[in-house]
Amino acid sequence: MSRKKLQDKANLKVLESAKKAGIETVWDRFEAQAPQCGFGMLGICCRMCNMGPCRIDPFGAGPKAGACGATADTIAARDMARATAAGSASHSDHARDLAMTLIAVGKGQTQGYAIRDPFKLKRVASEFGIEVENKKDNEIALQLGQKVLEEFGKQEGELVFSKRAPKKQQDIWKAQNIIPRGIDREVVETLSRTHEGMDQDYKNLVQTTMRVALADGWGGSMIATELSDILFGSPQPIRARANLGVLREDEVNVIIHGHEPTLSDVIATAAQDKELLDFAKAHGAKGINVAGICCTANEILVRRGLPVAGNFLQQELAILTGAIEVMVVDIQCIMPGVTQAAKHFHTKVISTSPKASIPGAEAIPFHEDKALDTAKHIIKLAIENYKNRDRSRMNIPKESMELVAGFTAENIFYHLGGRFRGSYKPLNENIINGRIRGVAGVVGCDNPKMGSGAHHVELVKELIKNNCLVVQTGCAAIECAKEGLLRPETAYEMAGDGLKEVCKAVGIPPVLHAGSCVDNSRILIACCEMVKEGGVGNGLDELPVAGAAIEWMAEKAMAIGWYFVSSGLLVAFGTPLRVTGSQALTDYITKDIENIVGGKWTFIEDPIECAHAMIAHIDKKRKALKLQPLLYAQSFPVQV
Amino acid sequence: MVQSKKIFCDITRCIACRTCEIACAVEHSITKDLFLGMLERPRPKKRAFVFFLERDVSRSTACQHCEEPPCMEACMSGCISKDEKTGKVDIDRSRCVGCWMCIMVCPFGIISRDITDKNKALKCDLCPDRESPACVDACPTKTLAYESRDEFLKRIKQAKKVYAHSHKK
Amino acid sequence: MPTHIKNNIYAIIGNSAAGLAAIESIRRVDQSSRIVNISNQPQRPYSRCLLSYYLAGQYDKDILWIRPEDYYKKYDTEVLLNTAVTGADIKNKTLEISGKKKISFDKLLIATGASAKFLNIKGADKKGVFVLRTLEDADGILRMLPNVKNACILGGGLIGLRAAYALKRRGVAVHVIVKSEHIFSQMLDAEAADIMRQHLEVNGIEISTGLEAAEISGKDSVDGVILDDGNRLDCQLIIIGKGVAANLGIVKGQVKADMGILADERLETDRKDIYAAGDAAQAYDVLEEKNNVNQIWPAAIRQGKIAGLNMAGEEIKYEGSYGTNSLDFFDLAVMSFGVVKPKGGGFEELIALDAKRRLYRKIVVKGERIVGGVLINDVERHGILLHLALQKIDISDIKDILADEYFDFGKVIPLIKRQTNLFIRPEYKDTCVTYSPLY
Repeated sequence: MSRKKLQDKANLKVLESAKKAGIETVWDRFEAQAPQCGFGMLGICCRMCNMGPCRIDPFGAGPKAGACGATADTIAARDMARATAAGSASHSDHARDLAMTLIAVGKGQTQGYAIRDPFKLKRVASEFGIEVENKKDNEIALQLGQKVLEEFGKQEGELVFSKRAPKKQQDIWKAQNIIPRGIDREVVETLSRTHEGMDQDYKNLVQTTMRVALADGWGGSMIATELSDILFGSPQPIRARANLGVLREDEVNVIIHGHEPTLSDVIATAAQDKELLDFAKAHGAKGINVAGICCTANEILVRRGLPVAGNFLQQELAILTGAIEVMVVDIQCIMPGVTQAAKHFHTKVISTSPKASIPGAEAIPFHEDKALDTAKHIIKLAIENYKNRDRSRMNIPKESMELVAGFTAENIFYHLGGRFRGSYKPLNENIINGRIRGVAGVVGCDNPKMGSGAHHVELVKELIKNNCLVVQTGCAAIECAKEGLLRPETAYEMAGDGLKEVCKAVGIPPVLHAGSCVDNSRILIACCEMVKEGGVGNGLDELPVAGAAIEWMAEKAMAIGWYFVSSGLLVAFGTPLRVTGSQALTDYITKDIENIVGGKWTFIEDPIECAHAMIAHIDKKRKALKLQPLLYAQSFPVQV
Repeated sequence: MVQSKKIFCDITRCIACRTCEIACAVEHSITKDLFLGMLERPRPKKRAFVFFLERDVSRSTACQHCEEPPCMEACMSGCISKDEKTGKVDIDRSRCVGCWMCIMVCPFGIISRDITDKNKALKCDLCPDRESPACVDACPTKTLAYESRDEFLKRIKQAKKVYAHSHKK
Repeated sequence: MPTHIKNNIYAIIGNSAAGLAAIESIRRVDQSSRIVNISNQPQRPYSRCLLSYYLAGQYDKDILWIRPEDYYKKYDTEVLLNTAVTGADIKNKTLEISGKKKISFDKLLIATGASAKFLNIKGADKKGVFVLRTLEDADGILRMLPNVKNACILGGGLIGLRAAYALKRRGVAVHVIVKSEHIFSQMLDAEAADIMRQHLEVNGIEISTGLEAAEISGKDSVDGVILDDGNRLDCQLIIIGKGVAANLGIVKGQVKADMGILADERLETDRKDIYAAGDAAQAYDVLEEKNNVNQIWPAAIRQGKIAGLNMAGEEIKYEGSYGTNSLDFFDLAVMSFGVVKPKGGGFEELIALDAKRRLYRKIVVKGERIVGGVLINDVERHGILLHLALQKIDISDIKDILADEYFDFGKVIPLIKRQTNLFIRPEYKDTCVTYSPLY
């Protein structure tokens, strides 16, 4: 089933040879899992205690409660809260590591790192109440790092970045008691509340779910984005290429895969080292080619314009090209299948995080104080491995696509208004006058359940056709990049007339790549800026904006989804959250919750229908704001 | 005579996940979709049941399509028939009056009362729209098989040999 | 497949369950002989048991025809409908039909069924007094209905209460007069009867127990019934549900009979080549452990089938009969089998009652064997228990869970493993082939 939906020619080519060689990939293993457990999919399998596992009969004939008496509502809500907490924890722990790096930079204990955006350092430090006048960058960095760390351990009060939200959202959060107090506290409290015999009211469990998610969006993720910008430089629009075709036949190919820019940035630096380049040449290679996979790819793409080898589902395929000397991985989304695939080739998999030990990979722990040395060591290993590449089995697809990436909440400012009159005014004005219908975020993972990312492409095409400006992050962005949607020239052709006019006038593509999955926080900021600019609503929930992670798979996606919903936006997932075994919970988060926090969920698998639902939501918001009718478009009667 | 096929269950492989039950209900829903089926009224119903024999031992059981079906003999509206060729025992819903005589005499207790849908007797129909029944296709541990008795016994004998062999070592 | 061409004449009197089952089983082993089916009813075969469903208006008349129109053609059977058998010369193997024509036979099956018992009280001949046994009865009642506001049912058994349920569904006010202290006195024990009575009363059926009709009043037509306590109930319709009696008429005195024609384990009577099956027959009751009439559909089909095979020269032993029944009123199902009200010693009763959910389970055990049971509401296990009883399985290992809410067929499988020879059906063995790692 899933294979039929595979679209990417590069993938097909590699998979064909993998099949011949009898090597398994995620699609094979996914098919072997079919059919997947319905109790799990519906969220009504409870493993919270050892009286269980208990299951609720979704069709009503069998058990209606677990051994403890928990109903489908309680069980599904607990499961959802825990998964969201795990997602929130993932982004936040990533952010914590960056804060540690910032402190190390402040103390001068690093190698290969520096403050690359001192302007942002000062701005963020001021937000945290740090005096920045007449202080050295290092001093500020140290203080900021320590202040940021406090965000994790705080027990009371409010997260600093939550004040970036419009007053309306802050008021709603206060009223609902969902302003995150400290990042770790919210995760811990969610885990505690979902223990056996604790919180049993699904509505109350949704409350903790929202708070722990907000601790991600306005905490962990936003911190990660801001600190990454400070440490590695704020992105600027940049041209690059994506897909497996970026691998080079005659160069040493190093893949960096995972999430933290701490690793990828320094490896990218090391790869430009003259000595190492000479070393590579001595080994018969023409150069060193560093390419990314997954969100690491996005981090180095938006800052350095390095090529993107692929997204989540392509991690094994990269190895199956037979042309990878070393794949360096850190944390999150690294499939155990990678080392299995690597066994069939000369490829070395190197794990660098003590938090993610990977059997079959060589562990080379990464420390800030020796980062560059470690990076050089890894590149050297790759060069030495070059001679082991079996050229007869090498199968690099030709496909790669040009793209433009690197848009942020700050720099889009200048693109919209021009450097000297930077402002969101042009965006808001064009929404108000009906050239742009609204803004849609298309983000998240790619999932073999739905093929290999094609749903994102269909969704984005339909959205821009209907004059929605699309903002992308994560693996969804890479998928659309491969299909050329991030190439302005291509996207203009597909965009609706209104959107096309605006984009051409101000010089932005209709589909904006904003970074990795933690960078979804950039979308929050951009939305706040739209509210600040005025004319399109007093709160995030009033904006003609909607988001989708149609191929979501990670718990992180649940946290992202929930922080957008809690911030007042519509979020569409393709396959539903694991809640549909509880009618009450499903109704609550897809309907009733809109009256509470302004946002809500919708679950639509078909990308076109999903686009139409998002458009209908945007149109609903436009109507409520009494904006001018669209200049060029039909409307959609779909109710969500 | 060619033996007719039916659903056989290898008890040693059943882990009681009840996937067969869900697959059965979904196959007999209108939309044939888990998520949409949840919204159907009346709700789709399963005709396969995971029965526990003793602790940690279970088996998925549906209509055995008996050689001499007691339900067919008991049915006072004559709505139960056995196909001579396929061996399938079928209930003609249009003629079932809900007297439950079939339930009264089923040795396996696997006929249900479909009270929310016109009061008809409900049991395994071997999935007429499919080549092999949904429960069999859905079983993640290959506990269930749609085959003849001889095929089943032969296969089990083989597995037993392998098992005995591996335990000798 | 027949080993040689047979040239018999099989005469089968009666075309309900037993008669039809016999025709079908004979044709399975003998495609060449003549079969003559004689019935006094004018219609093609129909199911008497469904008459109350037809009367209730739940289904139209079509539901009654249990065999297709071309049935007799398909089974190559000569049929004489609307034909009374007026005499039988068993010695010379001839039947006399409608007082003149003679039919010779080699083998005869008496599947003449039973008739409803009538009530011999004053006024019972008035217009508006019915039994519910034939299609004519049901149609007669239906013709009356437009003028009926109140109906009285005399008898609290299966037919009486099914008729009451049917009339209630038709919007008639129904009052059931029961002679015994409890309804369903044959089929249920007192506890189960009380649960059912309460359920029926909640749903608007009036029931009086310990009373009997003394006289039916009215001019030509019924206008009321006078009870033995002197009270009078107004009604325009009376249905008598006092049970049925086997139709022995034509062979009376020629074959040995008790409450029904005595049939041996081949379902042959004491006269060679004369067989009996169905409501007219009396066979060994394996649960009551005595000769008994069990006038129920499943027994009639089974007996007809076995009798037919034996008539056609097979040697098939009848497992014996048993009493069992299933009823459903206003979505509450009740079933019972075998001994439900044990008399004498040696019985043990396993009982589970949840009055709120109207769940009742009673299993009667004697000598570690199940001999009877009553189930209300969760009736799905009934067949499992019934077959454990019929096969005389030693249930001591699972006695403590038999009446348990979560008892199901799974719990029987260990017994199959241990008492393999007692479990006759091949399907039983299929279910436990792989039970235990060593099989």
